[in-house]
Amino acid sequence: MLRGSGIRKSFGQKTVLVNVDITIERGEIVVLTGPSGGGKTTLLRCLSLLEPPDGGTIELDDIGYSFGDGSDNRKRIPYPAVTIVFQQLFLWPHLTNRDNVLLSMPSAEEPYFEDLLDRFEMREFIDNYPNQSSLGQKQRVALTRAFVLAPTYILLDEATSALDDDRVAVVVEELMKLKQKRTGMLLITHSTDLAKEMGDRFLKLERGTVRPVS
Amino acid sequence: MIRIIIDYREAFLQGLAVTLKLCMTIWLLGLLLGGSLGILETKWKTVAVLGRSLAFVISGIPVLVFLFWLHYPLQALAGVVIEPFYTAALTLTIVNIFAVAGIVSHGIGELPAQYVETAVVCGLPRRRILWRIQFPLVLRYIVPPLLQTQVGMLHLTLFASLISVDEIFRMAQRVNAIVYKPVEVYSALGIFFLVVCLPLNGLALYLKQRFSRNISEK
Repeated sequence: MLRGSGIRKSFGQKTVLVNVDITIERGEIVVLTGPSGGGKTTLLRCLSLLEPPDGGTIELDDIGYSFGDGSDNRKRIPYPAVTIVFQQLFLWPHLTNRDNVLLSMPSAEEPYFEDLLDRFEMREFIDNYPNQSSLGQKQRVALTRAFVLAPTYILLDEATSALDDDRVAVVVEELMKLKQKRTGMLLITHSTDLAKEMGDRFLKLERGTVRPVS
Repeated sequence: MIRIIIDYREAFLQGLAVTLKLCMTIWLLGLLLGGSLGILETKWKTVAVLGRSLAFVISGIPVLVFLFWLHYPLQALAGVVIEPFYTAALTLTIVNIFAVAGIVSHGIGELPAQYVETAVVCGLPRRRILWRIQFPLVLRYIVPPLLQTQVGMLHLTLFASLISVDEIFRMAQRVNAIVYKPVEVYSALGIFFLVVCLPLNGLALYLKQRFSRNISEK
């Protein structure tokens, strides 16, 4: 279980998150929506511990991290057990798309990678550099890079926004396979269809707090 | 022109050797110490403030004035006499150190932090992130300006002739004083600098175009 309790985060005078409670169980897909600039990405960064919250606790399975009370949080964060696909993707521009995936991929995942090359139709551009690839192609590479890490929790920030319906369908299939392998997912999306198709629970982040929506 | 170069080859070769020795000293020390300072500037704010303040002051002093000040007043005040070659090497190395440090710290600062964050969440170990992500990306930012700066430093070695260092320009002046063929002598000198500097400038331009295309996605 990935759980954030009482998460608070401010940037200068601007308060972004106010006592946010959120839980993602293994094998569960939680959809998070909310207005642009409302703090969804900040929450995702806090949950993944890339951005330490000002206060609150994060529990990652049996490891607890406490913030704002002077606790020592130098415990090793078990990346890539929790990993992120960023909205801006951040493929490493000096590496080919293939090397972007292979650099962090465990060798045991090689057959899965080969399978994804076909399913995501990536063979014709996998050896190009990211700046020679379209946004949709880069999204597929970024998703592949995350999928082959076999994460326990995966946090997806608008990760299918540039894909056409057919390719979104393939991504959905892959996410469902990950779900069957008990991967917990937090999905930030503006696509209502995708949210309805995939979500087990729906949350909305508004004015710094999270509330369930039906 | 070729006749003069052949007749006075010993003088030219001697000058060339001094210029290359001076240049290598400036380049090696400048890149090594300047690179280290640049990295330290990105790690510690105090070093950054100190380094950038010194760089700001030094950039406000013409190199020739700085060279003469180290050669004449400073040595007179300190009561020491330092060989002109070392004074020139020290002056130009100081200038190069701060130029290189500025380029390196700026290059490191320009690297979007998200590339590293992505590597972190992909589970790459720190050492691998440094060598496979940070180092190659920062190199792409800094190599072109570093090459151009080092070409500029080679040009600045000519100032050493003004404090009696027998580098190639001073040797050319001496040869010209004997044969009085300024067109031929200084054309030969110009060709020498073109042969050395143009490929370096060309390489800098090539790398800049290639790398800026390669890292255009921020």
